Amino acid sequence: MSSPSLPGARTPIIQVSEEKYSASLHVEPLGTRVHFRGTISTVNPAGVLNPFVDQVHEHLLKAGAKDVRVDFTELEFCNSSGFKSFIYWIQKIQAAGDKQYRLRFISSPARKWQRTSLLALSCYSPNAVEIG
Amino acid sequence: MTEPSTTTRPIYLMLRMKPPWVFVDEIRRFVESFCACACPGETREAQVALAVHELMQNAIPHAGGENVDLTLQVDPIADRIEIAVSNPATEEQFLDFKRRLDRINTEPDPLQSYLRAMSEAPMNQRGGLGLARVRFEAQLELSITREGNRITVLAWGRLRAPLLQVPGGIHV
Repeated sequence: MSSPSLPGARTPIIQVSEEKYSASLHVEPLGTRVHFRGTISTVNPAGVLNPFVDQVHEHLLKAGAKDVRVDFTELEFCNSSGFKSFIYWIQKIQAAGDKQYRLRFISSPARKWQRTSLLALSCYSPNAVEIG
Repeated sequence: MTEPSTTTRPIYLMLRMKPPWVFVDEIRRFVESFCACACPGETREAQVALAVHELMQNAIPHAGGENVDLTLQVDPIADRIEIAVSNPATEEQFLDFKRRLDRINTEPDPLQSYLRAMSEAPMNQRGGLGLARVRFEAQLELSITREGNRITVLAWGRLRAPLLQVPGGIHV
């Protein structure tokens, strides 16, 4: 379940977790970072991740963000059902008109699947996706 | 006379499982390690592991508690990888699966097929993306057969696959 916490606290502003994975939004000196950890491989992760994406998206719109770092360095795997939550996120960005921002993915060279998955996402929306 | 290197022979892995969903991660990790050991110097293990994960994920819900069989063949001489996943399925499930696969295979470019699946897949429920993902990301062709009450999804391709290329020249 997601749990908003107080602005300015060291804890994540928005976070969600299941047994095998977690996602959290952090406001840092370098900007906003959304950190995914673990293995997204449950039957229907969209039930957990899409509401998290909704909250993160609203936060970024209110903050007037131009980009957000999406940190995959500790994400071991993401199944196709979980991958759809990132497509869902991009679709929300595309619908945001002049408030659109970019997802700057930070990948792990050790997780080779990330290269192909992020390549596909960048083809899906070159304007919204950047691979770091 | 010394034994030929194991990497010059076809290598097989066969698993028969009645796995609940939670074991899919363990199977993916095992397949990735197996491929890395079977074909040192090649770089296909992550793609094969991804494909096995997605195909197993499709098979388990339809298996109804019955066996799911996985066969993996790696043939360095023939430059070929083959994954077969079979499970019980009804006629209706087979036809539905075949219809989805035919639609994916109708598009000659795996990336375009994948991008279409991304646009059309329902965002709030599972399904609709895995097969197109396997075809593009794992660089494997897909087909399906039926024998008795079991279906088998076959994924095959080159062991030494070319770099993935997309418009604009980006490749991985």
